[in-house]
Amino acid sequence: MLLRKLIISAFGLTVLILGGHSFYSHRHLKEAVVLGPGVTDVVKLGDYFDGIAGSINDCNLYILDSGNPGATILILGGSHPEEPASRLAAWLFVENGLMTEGRMIVALSANRSASTVTRLSGAYPSDFTILTKWGGRKFRMGDRWSSPLDQWPDPEVYIHSPSGQELAYVDIRNFNRCWPGRANGTITERACFAFMEMIRKEKVDLVIDLHEAELQYPVISTIVAHERGEELATFVSMMLPDMEGFNMGMEFSPKALHGLSHREIGDFSDAVSLLFEAPEPFLDATRGRTTREQLLTGIDEFVVKAGKAGLLFEKIDEKGWHIDVRIGRHTSAILQTMESWTEIMPDRPLSCEGVPRYAEVIENSTGHYLHNPATSSKVLYE
Amino acid sequence: MNLLTTVISICYYVFIAYVAILMIINLIRSRKWEQELLYVIVLLPFLLRLFRLK
Amino acid sequence: MSMTAAATIILGIMVAIYIIAKYFKLSTELAMLAAALSGSMAGGTWLAPRHIAEGASTYLDINLIFISATLFMNILKAAGGVAFVVRAILKRFHKTRITMLMLLALLLLVPGALTGAGSVTVLITGGLVAVVLSFMGITKVRIAAIVFIIAGLSAAAPPVSLWAMMTAAGVNMPYVGFFLPLLIPCILLALTTIFILGWKGERINLEKAFAELPPAPEKMNWIRVIIPFLVFGFLVFMGRQWPHTTPIVGLPLMFLLAALAAYLLSPVKIEIYKISRETIKQLLPLIGTLTCVGILVQMMTLTGVRGLLAVTAVTLPVVVVFGFLWVLLPISEAVLMYGAAPVIGVPLVLLFNNIGLDPIIALAGMSVIWPLGDAIPPTAIIGRLTVDVVGFKGSYGTFLKTCLVPGLIIALVGTAMVVFSARLGFLTGL
Repeated sequence: MLLRKLIISAFGLTVLILGGHSFYSHRHLKEAVVLGPGVTDVVKLGDYFDGIAGSINDCNLYILDSGNPGATILILGGSHPEEPASRLAAWLFVENGLMTEGRMIVALSANRSASTVTRLSGAYPSDFTILTKWGGRKFRMGDRWSSPLDQWPDPEVYIHSPSGQELAYVDIRNFNRCWPGRANGTITERACFAFMEMIRKEKVDLVIDLHEAELQYPVISTIVAHERGEELATFVSMMLPDMEGFNMGMEFSPKALHGLSHREIGDFSDAVSLLFEAPEPFLDATRGRTTREQLLTGIDEFVVKAGKAGLLFEKIDEKGWHIDVRIGRHTSAILQTMESWTEIMPDRPLSCEGVPRYAEVIENSTGHYLHNPATSSKVLYE
Repeated sequence: MNLLTTVISICYYVFIAYVAILMIINLIRSRKWEQELLYVIVLLPFLLRLFRLK
Repeated sequence: MSMTAAATIILGIMVAIYIIAKYFKLSTELAMLAAALSGSMAGGTWLAPRHIAEGASTYLDINLIFISATLFMNILKAAGGVAFVVRAILKRFHKTRITMLMLLALLLLVPGALTGAGSVTVLITGGLVAVVLSFMGITKVRIAAIVFIIAGLSAAAPPVSLWAMMTAAGVNMPYVGFFLPLLIPCILLALTTIFILGWKGERINLEKAFAELPPAPEKMNWIRVIIPFLVFGFLVFMGRQWPHTTPIVGLPLMFLLAALAAYLLSPVKIEIYKISRETIKQLLPLIGTLTCVGILVQMMTLTGVRGLLAVTAVTLPVVVVFGFLWVLLPISEAVLMYGAAPVIGVPLVLLFNNIGLDPIIALAGMSVIWPLGDAIPPTAIIGRLTVDVVGFKGSYGTFLKTCLVPGLIIALVGTAMVVFSARLGFLTGL
């Protein structure tokens, strides 16, 4: 009987050690960031609010200052780290961007805690690799919600501050349901509060929150705009098909839906807030095998079948939605937004060079624009 | 508020540890292999949280 | 090989292994574990320890609620509190059956409505109500059915209905306008259930009941019984009333603090270590099932089996979806538990919205049907918990058969809410 107990316990211990090692490696995986020619400073989010300093959500903020007059734009990557194109598009700005007018602030891991955990019962891979000419760059696959290791327990119902709106309990760990944040709240709420402080102190004019969505989600391939950003978003939406070769709709931020960046940043600061959504079949509930390949190519027979049944809000065929396409949509949409902003407000221009657009990312692939940390002198880690 | 949140968090880890210990004791005293295997499986999430792995 | 063919083969292997495991008399939990591991191996991912561990962790928080709530109730029982309350209720209300039944239905509705979990209803008031019902001449199997069905309705009842909340979040819809569409059917269906299953019985023989009931300790009184519940109730109230100036306590710690109050106020000595160990032993099948279901769902997701089931369900013709909602929703609940909301609920609500139905009413109707799945094997979490708490020793099949009539009424009402949702839109108040 003792031998039987030992054998059974050995099985459990093996799963514990191997599984535990995988979780530990995932949480502590260092993602290299090669600072591009345009990065003039790197500060911490905690510099703007002590309540987040030193915590897992004290993320890096990359500043690309042209030194010339203009507006300030904030790019939020990693609000939901299970949407990798949102992080990687921001990455291309940090590694390649050079501002020639105005200033850009970039967050690659807006909710860093959520980038260190994968979704329970989601069977996500712990990481994925973007191939480059010199090898590959490994990134953490994340979750929609902050890790319970950083924020636990959850309440039975999440009551949003300050609106008092009731939301599902897990959304208290959802970075894009916690805006404008609370100084004495949970780590997710404090991270949002810290960003709001930064937006106010740095006098940010324009915030773009990058996302990806499942194809069965009605808000997809679109710009969600706060009412003060309606003119800008409409302009961008009109320009994209002709200038970049893809469509992106425009929607108004619902006034009754609280906690989202496009609503609360606009309401609680002077910044114009926009949210961009790209399609990510990996997030669809009807997806087939959950693999790294599916994550990167977006090819999925079952999602195509759901599309044929009219259940999706974006087209999909056998070619899927490759991550290069999704990243290219984001980089082009950001660059087009800066150009449109400058046309609307020529006295506060924004201009950026060196970042690949939609067609270039598809032609050369994302890896072409990621630089080798081994041969670079300015490398930081996320 | 922060202090209270930390105290609550510690309470949860203590509770997790207490339950894990009880499960291990029950596992040792169990006489059925099915129960033993079930205790081992059920223990996994408790130990993973206790060791701050998941 | 196409994805459909591959997933179908893997599903076939998982089902076959499950059947073989049951044939060899393995418990449901271990049969599910075997099915999960076989699916993982057939899918070419071998034993995938990361996924076993992650799947096992899926329901950790729910397991903690079960353990802490059961510990609380076991301590209260050991202190003589349950016997005291049952005696008091019988003494006060034994003459009027209607009032008694309505009071008991209300007692069952409140905990789940406040917490969103039917299991909390079963654990907090289920046992107590069961004892009272047994003295009203109702059979154990009917009692189990009453407690289970109303516990499910309590979970769907407002203010917290997790299925509605999670589906609403998935379709970018605020959780607003659900109060009446959930409250009205839940109250009416709870009363219908308790009257159908509990009306027939005998007059309570107070003397006989008191002779059979375990005696309450002499020093036991209302204050000693009510304070632990007040502690729990206050903590829930505190979180709602002052959510931004008080810390998040979480349900498990609320139950533990209530348990601490019950322990400190007990007129008799409580052996806390012994009760704790027995609680874990008592709950092993339940938390074992939850843990193994987590692993099973993880492997189904990993291998594409979950996608196959989801896409098959939501691509059926609309008329067929209407006709099979009463099967589809409970089965999705039985396999995925709350995971059914994002997997099946989201595409269905989008489908209903597309054809001009009212998404709020339709989702409320679906939320009423979903909890029925908590009695369906292989998981049958709340069903098994109820049978355990009530102390029904007969076959599980008999219990399911007893749930059938009220279950079908609920399914019918829920489906009608979906089909006629456009006409019921006024209930949302929007």
